[in-house]
Amino acid sequence: MAVIGDDFTPTIALDGARKQRGNLTQARIRWMMLALVIGFGLVGGRLVQLGMVESDQTIEGQARDVITATRPPILDRNGLEMAVDIRVPSLFAEPRRIVDVEEAVSKLRTVLPNLDEAWLRNRLTGDRGFVWVQRELTPAIQDAVMRLGIPGIDFITESKRFYPGMNEAAHILGSTNVDNQGISGIERHMDSESVALLQELGLARGNALTPVELSVDMRVQHVMHEQLVDAMTRYQAIAAAGVMLDIHTGEVIALASLPDFNPNEPATALVKDTFNRITSGIFEPGSIFKTVTMAGALDAGAVRITDQFDARYGIRFGRYTIDDFHGKHRILALPEVYKYSSNIGTIRVMQAMGKDSYRAFLSRMKFDERVQFELPEMRVPSVPKDFSEVGAATASFGHGLSVSPLHMVTAYAAFANGGNYIAPTLYKRSAAEAEPLYERVLQPRTSEYLRYLMRLNAISTGGSGSQMNKAALGYRVGGKTGTAEKVVDGRYSSSKVTNFFASAFPLDNPRYAMVIMVDEPKAENPQSGTTAGWNAGTITGRIVQRVAPMLGIAPDFSEMLDQQIVPAEVRQLYPEGF
Amino acid sequence: MIRSINIFLICTSVAMLAGVYTLKFSIEGTASERTALSAKISDQEGQLSLLKADWAVLNQPGHVAPIIKRHQAELAVAPVAQAQFGAFADLPMRPARPDTAAMDALFEAIADGIDPIDAILELEGIE
Repeated sequence: MAVIGDDFTPTIALDGARKQRGNLTQARIRWMMLALVIGFGLVGGRLVQLGMVESDQTIEGQARDVITATRPPILDRNGLEMAVDIRVPSLFAEPRRIVDVEEAVSKLRTVLPNLDEAWLRNRLTGDRGFVWVQRELTPAIQDAVMRLGIPGIDFITESKRFYPGMNEAAHILGSTNVDNQGISGIERHMDSESVALLQELGLARGNALTPVELSVDMRVQHVMHEQLVDAMTRYQAIAAAGVMLDIHTGEVIALASLPDFNPNEPATALVKDTFNRITSGIFEPGSIFKTVTMAGALDAGAVRITDQFDARYGIRFGRYTIDDFHGKHRILALPEVYKYSSNIGTIRVMQAMGKDSYRAFLSRMKFDERVQFELPEMRVPSVPKDFSEVGAATASFGHGLSVSPLHMVTAYAAFANGGNYIAPTLYKRSAAEAEPLYERVLQPRTSEYLRYLMRLNAISTGGSGSQMNKAALGYRVGGKTGTAEKVVDGRYSSSKVTNFFASAFPLDNPRYAMVIMVDEPKAENPQSGTTAGWNAGTITGRIVQRVAPMLGIAPDFSEMLDQQIVPAEVRQLYPEGF
Repeated sequence: MIRSINIFLICTSVAMLAGVYTLKFSIEGTASERTALSAKISDQEGQLSLLKADWAVLNQPGHVAPIIKRHQAELAVAPVAQAQFGAFADLPMRPARPDTAAMDALFEAIADGIDPIDAILELEGIE
């Protein structure tokens, strides 16, 4: 019962001991919880902080992965390595961690004396995290540097491109820079295709890249290179080059150009005159272009293989008279025009066709555009847009226009394979893959005529290919010589010539086309001359003699084969086929 | 009761702690082993790449040909000439098979003491 009154005194609450302790415990628990939350918060915060930190994975602005990225090995058509990656140590420094720069500089220069002292000191001072000292050293140097025991100096393993074939396929392969990126040749083409992308994604590590298979046959390449080197000394030429195509697939079997460079030392590629004369050299092709004229005229039906042409007198164009080099000065049949390489006869053949349709034929053979090819080193040919009378006349025998030897060999491949134009390639390509790419430029009939004409040049007396045939007897090679005079001080010089020999073999069932070029040759001995038959021709013969067995072509000396090439209408007129 | 449970829990936690620690150390050991192995692998891959490069050099026609040229005399080798190739057409036809039955008969006759030559000579009237 409560007494209700006005004056209340505040009540005193007396807690028992248990309640007091209970309150204290509550407070302690709260403090503990706070401490735990703070503790875990700190740990969690630190974890987040650590997760946010980006570790330095770059080396002078490049990802470490890119430095050690590899390139796929390059193989020839038989699986022989033409380019492989080797792991090499590269020397780097961390200036931040170098204690005594002077000591480091003097010690390093005991092993690497070619380093410049001032440059090295400058390189090692400062507080950068990473600087290259020298890249791509040998394991021996790595051991020596490690033995010095300088703090802050270490090695990283890089991939370096190595070309076991040395100079032999230099222009095909090109080279790579110190960062393992292709800078020329097929190496650069590969980069533009896929390798660069792989490296960017950081996937190109380890050696698991699929090898790149080229169409080149290293054995043939070796023989061609060797013969060209031999020719450089034998004829004291300033340059020599050669290319061989498989005419059915357009595969490049061999491609060499001298002077060349060593792809293992990319600096050697910067020397003047080492450019690839097959793809990026354009020359007046000279008489090897007569085959093109014959092909155009025969294909258009403007001339027949048995037609006669008047080559008694030179042809006048205003002030100029065009005459023959070894003039027969008589009436010549078409095969004789080709065999004696008569300029007059060839002009008449072209005129029978008409200069505009002749120009159109050159476009059909793609002589006025770049050849579709993988190598980046290409030049645009210079062929006049339309011909004047005299321009067409000189063009018919290969003067007044410049094309690359690659154009010529591609054209000859089309002439020999039944009239299908196929763009050359450096990658492996089977006949089945090539056939959809064929582009018909000649009737098969014309191709047969041309094969007969080329073979005739080799076997008949007075043919310009007889020197060549001596060496390659039995392999049914045939071709056309070309001796193009060079322009010196605005005039054609008779002493400085560029010689060509364009050929195909074996002509009873053609498989390969080849163009050999020799620049400014001299006579080998007093009995020989400087025309193409003596140098480019004999080189061709020697190459075929060496490579035909490798390519599975058996020699056959039977007259029958050569007789079978002779077209029926020619045989009716000339029973012995000239 | 409570006390015995506590003792049991303390024992298990100590045991678990020991287990966790041994696991931790064994994992660290395995990790360092792995690092050592991968270092060894990359080192050997480097050596392998050099060996492969050597092998490729030794296989190059450009490396083999000069060696052959140097030893041409001792090895008695030369580039193959066209005349050295044969063709199946050049092979002679297989000769007729020997008449085995007749030969057997002859040998048997000789074994029986009949000399066929004698018979011929008698016919010729030489003896």
